[in-house]
Amino acid sequence: MALRSAAAQAATLLRLSGRPAVTQSLWVPLARRSISTTQFASDEVREGLHYAESHEWVKVEGDIGTIGVTDHAQMLLGELVFVELPDTGTSVTGAEKFGSVESVKAVSDIYSPISGEVVEINSTLSDSPETINSSPYDEGWLIKVKLSDKSQLKKLMDNKNYSELLTAEAAH
Amino acid sequence: MAGLRRLEVWRMRELINYAEALHLQSQLVERRRRGGADVLLSLQHPPTFTVGKRRTVHNMLASPQELHAIGAELHMTERGGDITYHGPGQPVLYPILGLREMRVGVRAYVEGLEDVMVEVCKMHGVDARGRMEKETGVWVQGLRKIGAIGVRVSSGSITSHGLAFNVDPNLAHFDHIVPCGIRDKEVTSLRKEVSPVVPDVEEVTEQLIQCLAKQFGFAAVVDMEPPSFS
Repeated sequence: MALRSAAAQAATLLRLSGRPAVTQSLWVPLARRSISTTQFASDEVREGLHYAESHEWVKVEGDIGTIGVTDHAQMLLGELVFVELPDTGTSVTGAEKFGSVESVKAVSDIYSPISGEVVEINSTLSDSPETINSSPYDEGWLIKVKLSDKSQLKKLMDNKNYSELLTAEAAH
Repeated sequence: MAGLRRLEVWRMRELINYAEALHLQSQLVERRRRGGADVLLSLQHPPTFTVGKRRTVHNMLASPQELHAIGAELHMTERGGDITYHGPGQPVLYPILGLREMRVGVRAYVEGLEDVMVEVCKMHGVDARGRMEKETGVWVQGLRKIGAIGVRVSSGSITSHGLAFNVDPNLAHFDHIVPCGIRDKEVTSLRKEVSPVVPDVEEVTEQLIQCLAKQFGFAAVVDMEPPSFS
């Protein structure tokens, strides 16, 4: 049936990974990118936190890590309208998705910087997800995790390295 | 071709069932994650209602029997946004792009999608705007919605889902929902806005594709030959 086969065959095309059948190359002039630039100078990067490249932070106190997204992340996302967090008792894995946030009709995954068991979640966020925008390092924390492997912290960045990452990302 | 940003455009010639399109997108996202190309899927769906991550099914007004009677399906999705309708006459674009490499944040990306539809409206003499606070999408006179957006960002920074632009869909189908959860505004189409001129759906689809490529700075647009079916 034509309806079913079109996309199914397209998916098969991917598995076969043949060369693209280039019938015609249309050269669009290299347009000046009209992409809104973010205000890097005003990004807050806090000392004493560990940072992941995917713009999450973790604050470690004893065995417990508090996780959130950075000021830079909330700015890239826009005003948040919805947050999906795991239940307490579930485990999270470093560098893997643990939840998602929605802003401006876009759902984005958020990744845990470290592995462990979720011991607490910030339930105020279900009524006020925009707290993440206004207070990404304080009231906008997402989950608290009992760390299963403190050596993972070595793979994360400190505030200086994270600031350098932001500067590098700003340079087009 | 170092430095030349390349967009592969896949134009699906037939109506694509929503579930099939989801499957294809997830494969393209995985391919992109492994270093494959930025891709733009251009297609239309048979009559389909979809609900976003927040599961706002309360905005579906029709019963399952009524949906069945008009031959429409209802799908739950992981995209942002509320409830919407897709159908023939409504070009849908699903860009599968790596935002991190593009140095584009999510909000800027969504604004870019709005700008694409605003630009195409302008080409047809319709003054439409995006940037309506809390009501992402493209609006004519702030009252009539002509283009919708619902996006997912996963696997790091790879986009899926995208935009839907009403060229000439069956607007009556929108009566079965509270579109995007907004009760006091209308849904419109390019056909309705430029009447008595009847816009050509294929032509407008091409305009959307070219505007999107330009909007996100792609220098080379490569047309993928869609699979042929006997």
